[in-house]
Amino acid sequence: MSSEPTPFSEEARRTLATVLDEILPARPDGRLSGAGALGLGSRLEEALKKEPLQHAMVAQGLADVEKAARVRHGASLAEVPASERRALLEEQPFTGLVMFHAYVGYYQDERVVAVLGIEPRPPHPLGYEMPPNDLTLLDPVRRRAKMYRG
Amino acid sequence: MSEEPVDVLIIGAGASGAAFAWSLAETRMRIVCLEQGGWMDPAQYPGMRTDWESAQFGAFAFSPNVRKRPEDYPINDGESPISIAMFNAVGGSTILYAAHFPRFHPSDFRVRSLDGVADDWPLDYARLEPFYDVNARMMGVSGLAGDPAYPPKDVPLPPVALGKLGETLAHGFNRLGWHWWPSDSAITTVEHEGRAPCINAGTCLLGCAQGAKGSTDITYWPAAIRAGVEVRPRCRVREITVGDDGMVDGAIYYDAKGVEQRILAHVVVVACNGIGTPRLLLNSRSRHFPDGLANRSGLVGKNLMLHPYGMVTGIFDEPLEGYRGPTGCSIMSHEFYETDLSRGFVRGYSFEMLRGFGPLSTALLGMGWGKIPRGADHHRAYAELFDRNAGMVVICEDLPEEHNRVTLDPDLKDSDGIPAPKITYRLSENSEKMLAHAVARGREVLEAAGAKDAVVQAPLPFAGWHLMGTARMGTDPERSVVNPSGRAHDVKNLFIVDGSIFVTAAAVNPTNTIQALALHVADEMKRNLANLLD
Repeated sequence: MSSEPTPFSEEARRTLATVLDEILPARPDGRLSGAGALGLGSRLEEALKKEPLQHAMVAQGLADVEKAARVRHGASLAEVPASERRALLEEQPFTGLVMFHAYVGYYQDERVVAVLGIEPRPPHPLGYEMPPNDLTLLDPVRRRAKMYRG
Repeated sequence: MSEEPVDVLIIGAGASGAAFAWSLAETRMRIVCLEQGGWMDPAQYPGMRTDWESAQFGAFAFSPNVRKRPEDYPINDGESPISIAMFNAVGGSTILYAAHFPRFHPSDFRVRSLDGVADDWPLDYARLEPFYDVNARMMGVSGLAGDPAYPPKDVPLPPVALGKLGETLAHGFNRLGWHWWPSDSAITTVEHEGRAPCINAGTCLLGCAQGAKGSTDITYWPAAIRAGVEVRPRCRVREITVGDDGMVDGAIYYDAKGVEQRILAHVVVVACNGIGTPRLLLNSRSRHFPDGLANRSGLVGKNLMLHPYGMVTGIFDEPLEGYRGPTGCSIMSHEFYETDLSRGFVRGYSFEMLRGFGPLSTALLGMGWGKIPRGADHHRAYAELFDRNAGMVVICEDLPEEHNRVTLDPDLKDSDGIPAPKITYRLSENSEKMLAHAVARGREVLEAAGAKDAVVQAPLPFAGWHLMGTARMGTDPERSVVNPSGRAHDVKNLFIVDGSIFVTAAAVNPTNTIQALALHVADEMKRNLANLLD
């Protein structure tokens, strides 16, 4: 029987929020906060529960990057200057994995989808309206001779 | 063993098994179909949720190796640049397919005569034409008559919405003077035989909750079941059994509880697709067939054809509303379909226009293409891609080669302990040249349509949707597995009806032809019932 991974510590959650804001920062137009501030960390943690190996990799990565920030800069990752923070994350093998899950959470979040101009609802059952076809575009093709062989 | 023999046992409830069962049902024979998957519940399809896009990475992934549903079997496709895609359920891979539904061209059945390669089919377009027509009605095909790339044909329903994206691309084809046409699609655009019309939700590849896409669980199967066919879901066949007389006499399978069962049958029909069928035949060894059932030619599993795909995605300045509309169906082009040796290869390819990508897919593809970074520049880069992309795929004809094959993996097994298939496949030099030509022309037409940039992926690594050729049809028992009526040369009461009996692959999606062939085999069987086993 497989057991559920140990939940992230509060410190790990704060670090994760910082990482998420680094990957997906606030929109320049001010319409949305960064992914961490939007609370997507909890969704990511929930998704990782189903993948224990990935959960362990991210937990370790969060601990490692926080430790590296304190050793090199004497501050938590959130307090390190932005350029140094990016450099620290570049070194971490878990960043790509977090990025994937960050995108999955962010770009399916109703607040984000609404800002993109799509109604924040499932595609079904309402679907989408589309304009009628302009089949006059086919006129030059209709004038072509038979193209098939055999 | 608790049952009397059934008249006909069908193994597999996908595209071909469903069409075959429906056609044969009028004989009033006792027909049972065993299917390893279950019935799908459209209300549970991802399109009913806001997080629908991420289902492509889990329970609705194309690859059974990623999906890992209990009904899936693993496939060792590590020795192929193209991974295998399929779905196991009542409806088979039509649950996830795009429903792009072209017919083969007449020339596709005569490649040896016309182009001196591969083999001619032992039947022609005219033989399949009435079955294409029946299939169009049963699957609910939309499109437009008058396409100069085809002989005249009826299309029951009006074409799907082209939308701004489709019409933008159509302008590109017109500027180059190239052929294009609204796609034939197994998607209802008006009410049709109890099915509601398409609502342009754009979730076709994850199942259609609207019921507009023609998957056989909602087309053929309800009609076949009403006519008396019995479907047993969650029943995975381990082997087809052979009697002392060398004829097949039934199958051994595992039921939904994993309990071994035996079913007896007078006739067995295999409809498990171009991977599952050779796997089952190779797993069915006996005194009469030590190298696998119906494999005296040694060709079971060989000549695997997959259709090398390339994907070319154009990036435009203007929004295209590309997240709306049937995912894989808007317009197509057969400008480069027929052989022109001046291009440097034999045979040809088709273009199939896709839609744009949804919010999540845009982000992940943009990341993979190196066009969307994380961090400060993310939102600007994302805005340049989202709803400003238009995808197209090129589908190249794949010629049969014996070294491209399905065998049994010596170690890998499914959850019932049945040996899994192993794929050995590489692209031929002809396919490589064709693919290069095709993606270059793809770029050209996207630029003509106004794209400022294009991204190419070729071959498309996850695109092993079309599984063909591994139990080929022919008149010579030394060079084919089944005869022109779909009957195994080696076993009089064994028939195969799926894409494995294809002789060549053409350059279009095969489902329409798979089903037309299944209807043809059923028709042959019905016409010869009195002396079927002579």
